[in-house]
Amino acid sequence: MVTFLARLFRSSVMIKIIMAVSGLGIIGFLLAHLTGNLLMFGGPEKINAYGQSLRDLGPVLWLLRGGILLFFIAHIWSAIMLGKRNRAARPIGYAMKKPIKATVFSRTMMLSGLTVFAFVAFHLAHYTFGKIQPEFFNREYTLHDGRVTHNVYEMVVYGFENPAYTLLYVLCMTLLGFHLSHALTSAMQTFGLNNPKYSKFLRRLGPSFAVIIVAAYLSIPVSVITGILKHKADIEHTALSNEGGIIKEMKQ
Amino acid sequence: MKLTLDIWRQKSANAEGKMVSYEVDDISPDMSFLEMLDVLNERLLEKGEDSVAFDHDCREGICGMCSLMINGMPHGPERATTTCQLHMRKFHDGQRITIEPWRASSFPVVKDLAVDRSAFDRIVQKGGFISANTGNAPDANAIPIPKKDADIAMDAAACIGCGACVAVCKNSSAMLFVAAKASHFGHLPQGQPERYERVIKMVEQADAEGFGSCSNTYDCEAACPKEISVRHIARLNRDYLRASLFGE
Ligand code: HEM
Ligand code: FES
Repeated sequence: MVTFLARLFRSSVMIKIIMAVSGLGIIGFLLAHLTGNLLMFGGPEKINAYGQSLRDLGPVLWLLRGGILLFFIAHIWSAIMLGKRNRAARPIGYAMKKPIKATVFSRTMMLSGLTVFAFVAFHLAHYTFGKIQPEFFNREYTLHDGRVTHNVYEMVVYGFENPAYTLLYVLCMTLLGFHLSHALTSAMQTFGLNNPKYSKFLRRLGPSFAVIIVAAYLSIPVSVITGILKHKADIEHTALSNEGGIIKEMKQ
Repeated sequence: MKLTLDIWRQKSANAEGKMVSYEVDDISPDMSFLEMLDVLNERLLEKGEDSVAFDHDCREGICGMCSLMINGMPHGPERATTTCQLHMRKFHDGQRITIEPWRASSFPVVKDLAVDRSAFDRIVQKGGFISANTGNAPDANAIPIPKKDADIAMDAAACIGCGACVAVCKNSSAMLFVAAKASHFGHLPQGQPERYERVIKMVEQADAEGFGSCSNTYDCEAACPKEISVRHIARLNRDYLRASLFGE
């Protein structure tokens, strides 16, 4: 047990496995978070009820948050451990060095990872703690069951109507995509999965996954800025004119 | 051909080094890269200057002694080619060529372009062997080995230990080398008894030597003069994981 643990936290291969496991854990969170976010397209009732149901989880929510935090800590710890070792392994660099087949994404994992980290901090301050754009944070919404809850829908729509915020999110998500495009395929290799039978599939897995995730996340700010997702006033307006439409049809 | 060479000169392991430029002319396109350096060295000696130290031995692409980072690529721009097998016709007249030693803390420079690669020997000492009875040589085909396994082991055994994988890797990782050695034995019945112990010990030694970790960028596979596949690294990871989870 002692040797196993000593090896787990010292061996470059094992630290890499910790990095891959924690990375996949964070990817799991990314998928869950995305599923929730896409409820924006279902309108204020859907997303706000979802937000309330998360808060209703109480201690379970904190357990989940703790798990994600643990994944992040493990991932960043392993990135630091390996990064230190890797830098020490080449104290004097080359005057000329050309990558042969290493992609730019695979060579800039630390950079894209740190950007994602900075983004996560910003994003929490923005939409979890309401420290950024606080004017949109404390709006209320009355659910169909009469409960008054936090208006996530408006917070997001008002937030992204500011093009600076949309642009920032686009940039950060793009860097997340860079990270993911190498990460997922790389994690498979780290787990020892690489066989001519499916290596082509694995090579494409990371980049395809990255494109899909980034596009799905960005669909929200982009829909706000292009007016596909509107805030409350607009929605009531369209809803009313729709009712008008139905009435007109019925009259005919 | 006339060439301008920017070469790393360093008098000894502990001396400061620097890039020095040399002009060479009358180079035949049929010369190998090492022969071109021989010409440069003869002329330096005629002028009473110190010749450029570089490693070489077989000059036929099988020993792994030749090295050199040539214009930012190990063994130069040709794929699947050692420096001794690289010909000057792959360069053009008047070209400027940068020549540097392998750069890794585990491969200290001995002099100029020659580096000490005994870290690889110490990794091999940890597990690059099988246990066999002494006495008469066993019958060649006494142990049946599936063709597929023999092929994979043979591909891994093609590693000449030149260190190009370390030289090209952004982390100076020796994973392709270690994986090739582990696969070479681990794919054959004779290598089974030490299979799991071998990967643990060799990786431990590579870590102790100060090589970096693998980021799966796969430049090693592209730089390897013997085109050893990163599949062997996946297998090493697999064996390593199995050995640490289920081994004694
Ligand atoms: C919080 C800041 C982050 C940092 C500093 C970071 C850093 C890194 C680094 C440096 C690597 C490459 C390791 C190497 O080159 O050997 C890596 C790999 C990886 N990252 Fe991140 N990352 C971060 C966030 C994320 C996020 C948000 C995800 C999930 C979406 C993620 C998933 C992965 C995965 C799956 C790998 C592959 C592990 C492997 O190669 O086996 N990382 N990370
Ligand atoms: S000198 Fe032997 S491989 Fe080049």
